[in-house]
Amino acid sequence: MRTLGPERLPALARGFSLLGSGGGGATTLLELMAAEVLDGPVELHDVDDLDPLTPCVAVGFAGSTYLLGERVPAEDAFAPLLAAAERWTGVAAVAVCAMEGAGLNGLTPFLLAREHTLVDADLMGRALPGIDQLSLVVDAVPGVVLVADTGGGVMVVESARSADVESLVRASLIRAGGAGAVLVAGFTVGDLAAHGIPGTFARAAALGDADAFGEGLSGARTLGAGRVSAVDAVPDDPFVRSVELTGDDGALLRLVARSEFLAVTRDGRTIAASPDILVAIDSVSGDVLQVDEVTLARHVRVVALAAPEWWKGSPERLAHVVPAAYGLRDLEVEA
Amino acid sequence: MRAPRGKRDIMTPLDLRALLAHPANGRVRVLVDAPGVEAFTGVVVAAREALLPERGGGDLAALIEPPPSAPWQQDALVRRVRDRGFRGLALSGADVLGAGSRGLAARLGLTLLAVDDPMALARAGWELVQGRDALTLGYVRRVAQSIEYSAAHLADLLRHLSASVGHGVALIDAEGVLLQAGGDLPEPVRAAIDFGLWQDVVSVVEGAAASVRVDSPSRAGLRLAVFGSGLSAAQLSALAVAAEVAMPAVAARILIDEVADVSDAAVASGLLREFLEARDARDPDVEQRMSERGWRTGGYHLAFRIAGRRRLETLELLRFVRRSLAALPVDSQAVTSGRGVTGWLSFAEPPAPARLDEHVAAVRALHDQARRSFDVATGVGSLDSGASGLLRSIDGAVDGARIAAGRAATGWFVRVDALGIEQVLLSWAGSDTFVPAAESLLAPLASQGPELLETLTAYLDHESGVSATATALGLHRNTVAMRIARAQELLGVDLADTDARLALHLACRALR
Repeated sequence: MRTLGPERLPALARGFSLLGSGGGGATTLLELMAAEVLDGPVELHDVDDLDPLTPCVAVGFAGSTYLLGERVPAEDAFAPLLAAAERWTGVAAVAVCAMEGAGLNGLTPFLLAREHTLVDADLMGRALPGIDQLSLVVDAVPGVVLVADTGGGVMVVESARSADVESLVRASLIRAGGAGAVLVAGFTVGDLAAHGIPGTFARAAALGDADAFGEGLSGARTLGAGRVSAVDAVPDDPFVRSVELTGDDGALLRLVARSEFLAVTRDGRTIAASPDILVAIDSVSGDVLQVDEVTLARHVRVVALAAPEWWKGSPERLAHVVPAAYGLRDLEVEA
Repeated sequence: MRAPRGKRDIMTPLDLRALLAHPANGRVRVLVDAPGVEAFTGVVVAAREALLPERGGGDLAALIEPPPSAPWQQDALVRRVRDRGFRGLALSGADVLGAGSRGLAARLGLTLLAVDDPMALARAGWELVQGRDALTLGYVRRVAQSIEYSAAHLADLLRHLSASVGHGVALIDAEGVLLQAGGDLPEPVRAAIDFGLWQDVVSVVEGAAASVRVDSPSRAGLRLAVFGSGLSAAQLSALAVAAEVAMPAVAARILIDEVADVSDAAVASGLLREFLEARDARDPDVEQRMSERGWRTGGYHLAFRIAGRRRLETLELLRFVRRSLAALPVDSQAVTSGRGVTGWLSFAEPPAPARLDEHVAAVRALHDQARRSFDVATGVGSLDSGASGLLRSIDGAVDGARIAAGRAATGWFVRVDALGIEQVLLSWAGSDTFVPAAESLLAPLASQGPELLETLTAYLDHESGVSATATALGLHRNTVAMRIARAQELLGVDLADTDARLALHLACRALR
């Protein structure tokens, strides 16, 4: 068990930004909201510290992260979702963890930290775009339910088919206006040990404490640095963009991205790919850049952080997060 | 499509420029000209990259399937082809390759080509590297195909040849290009051609040409050249053979055109004679034949006559005059007549005096040019209208040409419009009785040498002005004064007497 004070929020935010792999949304809004909630230090429990049978929920915002900035969610946005989950599962959640341990969603559990025990874990270990990429859904843990904001109401989904979970939750988010709160319930802290990614906050805090320019990040691998010379659309998929960097060493670096960076190629060779966490850091300001912030003529450093081990645990898990899962071919890292 | 590797060493490499110059290369374009890649070992064609041989060995790879659409896939294609040892990659639909992939190719040293038909490219490459005979045969066959189509005239024949061979074709002599089709033969290339050789192949920076002497009985010193840029030695030697094959057709065509020209000129000359002889008595048959030749009698005419001062090739002169007239922006005709060419410019409306002067100046320029090759004198008639006007203008031009034949001072050119009096004098002073009288009158001067007669003539022409005469003859005024005094003494006449002056002046004119 550790304690986290409000003064740790900036370092955590930066750590979660790095884990965002170019996605996950800007953390500023949640930093401000969490600071409102936290009037003092809060206890952060490791998964092993708690009774494995402790009922737990995971929370996060899904949909368009821009819309959240336009339409600031209420502080108690999760209250109706918690109530629905309690009625469906029959138990009141005691613990809370992050649904997506990256970007603004890394900080979302702090909104519930006053009434719930904060568990150092999440269900993705990085930023990912799909509800069907939640570890509990990938492993099809029985009894897991998802509760989504429908914009004035809630929807509870219980299904063993991950595609249904994704499309139903997505539909409700669209009804809610493009973005909304999502809650995962029906599991215990013990489930997180096997089917979740523990240590999320600890990793984010460590990353956030490291040098602002990405030097000395633990487990980080520098892929290159260069100036953005082109941002190309890809004919087959309107959501994919290819950012072309002219490397400082003359090499041609390409960042292939959807809502996150999915692969980096160097002179036509794939040198890193999802689930590795690929980060673009502005060489001048040290800012962690979102995909759409990597614009023409910027100079960026490209860094790969190790993928959460959980995703590499089995070929089935891996198949959910490699570039091919997004329909992008020929981006396998060459041996 | 692949050579046995063991034979590679003795093969010439596949030069990129030669490939670009090949007429059937599948329309290949250079996308990326990688530095240091001027030639390939050979060419390999495959459906896609995966089917290429493992070891490229400096070859050019031609892929039939279009490149992938995603930028990273294009990068990977470029890198993998280069990693296999290929030095060039030709793709159909290669225009989709982005700037990044092109830059990568340049950096890795892989020349990128866009090609519409990769199979044709492969065949062209094979012809250039191994299939010299096939290359030659291909050209010869195309020459034969072009001869199959009938050509209206020589220029037409050259166009056919050029279109089917796929390179420029020119008929040249030592002076310059006479006719060309399919491009412009650069002057440095023409200058480099050896006119002494039967067959010659030249290659300079500006381009290359294979040429062969044209055996024509009527026109000596002609060569038929096939030219282009970037042609390799293999292509040039193949083209030299093609030129040899095409040459007899060109020579025959020259002869045919010549015969047609001669007979046409004879017919036109006869018609003009009939028109002139009929004078004002209109002959409907003549008028009919004139209008069939496109000779309009209506409107205004400005006639000219370019007459030989000695025997000359009137057909050559006619050809020259017609070529020059074609450049003028007016309706014009030219016909051989006697020992020269008679022609006229026709206008629907009378041209303004300034415009008319321009037309005369154009005829003058034509005359000056003609004098470089022919010893001619030219007369220009006055502007006149209708059929009878055309007659008068031609008469004037004929008179003018006769006067001009003796007028070195005006460059053997006389415009009759400007000297009506001159005509009167000529007709009078040229009469049979006057000339002997003038000769006896001036005999004392003639015996003393030509300078006295010359000085006296100039003196009288210049209104008895000593200074003007001295300037005109380039003499000192005292010399002129002394000579005039001596001439008066010898002749025993008083130059102050007007009758005596007139008689002397006329006599001088008659003997000049």
